[in-house]
Amino acid sequence: MLSLQLFCANPKPTFRSPSFEPLFNPKSLKPSKLYQKSKPSPIYSVLQWNRTPELAGETPRVVVITSGKGGVGKTTTTANVGLSLARLGFSVVAIDADVGLRNLDLLLGLENRVNYTVVEVLNGDCRLDQALVRDKRWSNFELLCISKPRSKLPIGFGGKALVWLVDALKAREEGSPDFILIDCPAGIDAGFITAITPANEAVLVTTPDITSLRDADRVTGLLECDGIRDIKMIVNRVRTDMIKGEDMMSVLDVQEMLGLALLGVIPEDSEVIRSTNRGYPLVLNKPPTLAGLAFEQAAWRLVEQDSMKAVMVEEEPKKRGFFSFFGG
Amino acid sequence: MASIWSLQFHSLHFRHRVSSNAKELLLHHSLSQRLNWIPLTPNRRFLLRAINDSVSPDKDQRPQNDVVDSAKHTLVLDSKHPLATFQESITSFPPVVFLMTRCSRNNFTMGLCIAIAIMVVAVRAYVARKSRQSRPGSVADLVRRGQLRSDRRGISRPLKYEDPFNNPLVKVGKSNSTVEMCGKLYRLAPVTLTEEQQAIHQKRRSRAYQWKRPTIFLKEGDSIPPDVDPDTIRWIPANHPFATTASDIDEDLAQNNVYQKHGVPFRIQAEHEALQRKLEALQNEEKLNNLFIDSRNAKDFQRPFKLNARSDELDEEGPINNPTIDNKPPKPERASSSIESNLSSEEMQKP
Repeated sequence: MLSLQLFCANPKPTFRSPSFEPLFNPKSLKPSKLYQKSKPSPIYSVLQWNRTPELAGETPRVVVITSGKGGVGKTTTTANVGLSLARLGFSVVAIDADVGLRNLDLLLGLENRVNYTVVEVLNGDCRLDQALVRDKRWSNFELLCISKPRSKLPIGFGGKALVWLVDALKAREEGSPDFILIDCPAGIDAGFITAITPANEAVLVTTPDITSLRDADRVTGLLECDGIRDIKMIVNRVRTDMIKGEDMMSVLDVQEMLGLALLGVIPEDSEVIRSTNRGYPLVLNKPPTLAGLAFEQAAWRLVEQDSMKAVMVEEEPKKRGFFSFFGG
Repeated sequence: MASIWSLQFHSLHFRHRVSSNAKELLLHHSLSQRLNWIPLTPNRRFLLRAINDSVSPDKDQRPQNDVVDSAKHTLVLDSKHPLATFQESITSFPPVVFLMTRCSRNNFTMGLCIAIAIMVVAVRAYVARKSRQSRPGSVADLVRRGQLRSDRRGISRPLKYEDPFNNPLVKVGKSNSTVEMCGKLYRLAPVTLTEEQQAIHQKRRSRAYQWKRPTIFLKEGDSIPPDVDPDTIRWIPANHPFATTASDIDEDLAQNNVYQKHGVPFRIQAEHEALQRKLEALQNEEKLNNLFIDSRNAKDFQRPFKLNARSDELDEEGPINNPTIDNKPPKPERASSSIESNLSSEEMQKP
């Protein structure tokens, strides 16, 4: 089967004509333009065939994934977006910057392979390349944990250490990674300040409820004070049925409150918990789930520094015939 | 397969609508019943509806209409007889028999359709049962990964990767404004955030949140150094978990450790060298031990002459001389234990 994408392929996220990026049933649609490899001018609304995203911005792209409020899905987003990027062919290093409570390795299923952390690197017990854990499923994805749960990092020290880490990764022999994703801890305390130190851009994960939005607004203000201007948001755990019933804020309402560009909208999916149990991020599922597809699209937009131009709003359910219970 | 069934049933639905002008009612039935009996009116007209009939419309309607007429005729005659109900039940069955005997071709196809339907139901039930039993992402995976110790649960297979852009679940309508995913219909609503609105939000945040990155970290009770912006001071409470760790890591050393690409890491190298030095020191001391013991043996021969005069001195100097004697344990097996005993004995003498 062929895959199509309706795409607005301008890497600079300035004003653009409305377009969207859903996935198409290829039998019903035909491409209007052929695939173009060179992009001398911005292309609007072109159907592309199996195009890989083109990396925008400077390498390495240091992205911090933060939220303020805990439990909204930062670590899930880091794992899934990171693996999506690796699958698209980019080299990714994911750093779990939560010093006290480490979770990213659990989500990725790599918890038994983490022997050394950044604390050991700083103490001189191992080298940086020994602390990096390479994922066997996708060899261009690596994990780096800051510390084991029992060891601690001094407060005034962490930010500088992360900056050195990023520099060392840039200067390493196998080449600089394309993406460095930093999984930020919850809160706006020392851990947060440490995690955002080396970042150039931020992805703010939030859920469509007022508590998360207020914290997200505060975090956005702090990020802007610290000099990070490129902030995009991912709205997680979206229940389109509740939005339709006006029990939950819609994604456009969230955007109106925060005023941030949308990187992705992730629907609520019970597969998230199952994938945590398996240690297998849900973007790797076959067949892909809705949340997995949404993460893939968010990763695509992250690569191209794009943002969403339209969101999906649930409508009345499709009227089904009398005998639809026989099939799907 | 489901689409084929739906096509058939849609056509059947249409046919029945055409044939039921005034006297017949269309009723919808559950999945399990393929042949349905529908009591319609108080006159006890029984209408047989063969749902699985998939023959062409013309042939179908004629036998069904004949059946209905004959059934009506017999029922009207016997309605008041005491054995009316029994006869009715008998007469209600013959339509099936009439149908089957009149059209043998229909019989075969009807049987085939019934068999296929039963197979479909059975297969779906089996698949549903199987998926319920071996669900991926269950606690069994936690067992497999060694997080849980219970081995009551089975092992499930991990799923494999598929091209994420090739998803048959998502269908976009031709007008490009509707998307169908997993049985739900969505409409695409364009995003309404403009550059001006973004700028307004940024200004609001810059007014609301004033923050400077802390560069000085002080514990409670420390004095503020001069020429320091108080906004950049971070006060660490005494009970903060990170406050208990002393920042004993030398920053330059740590930076060098991070940038190191080859060779043995610093601390391991340092520990190794320290161990080597101590082993060498121990070996040197053992050599001295051997020499010292010989001279002592020589002194032992002289003891009876000087013992009375020196006994007090020996008692006084005992604790001082003893360490040198005590520090020559008979060739310890581990260098570390000897070092520790040396250290402990030295520590004892220090005060």
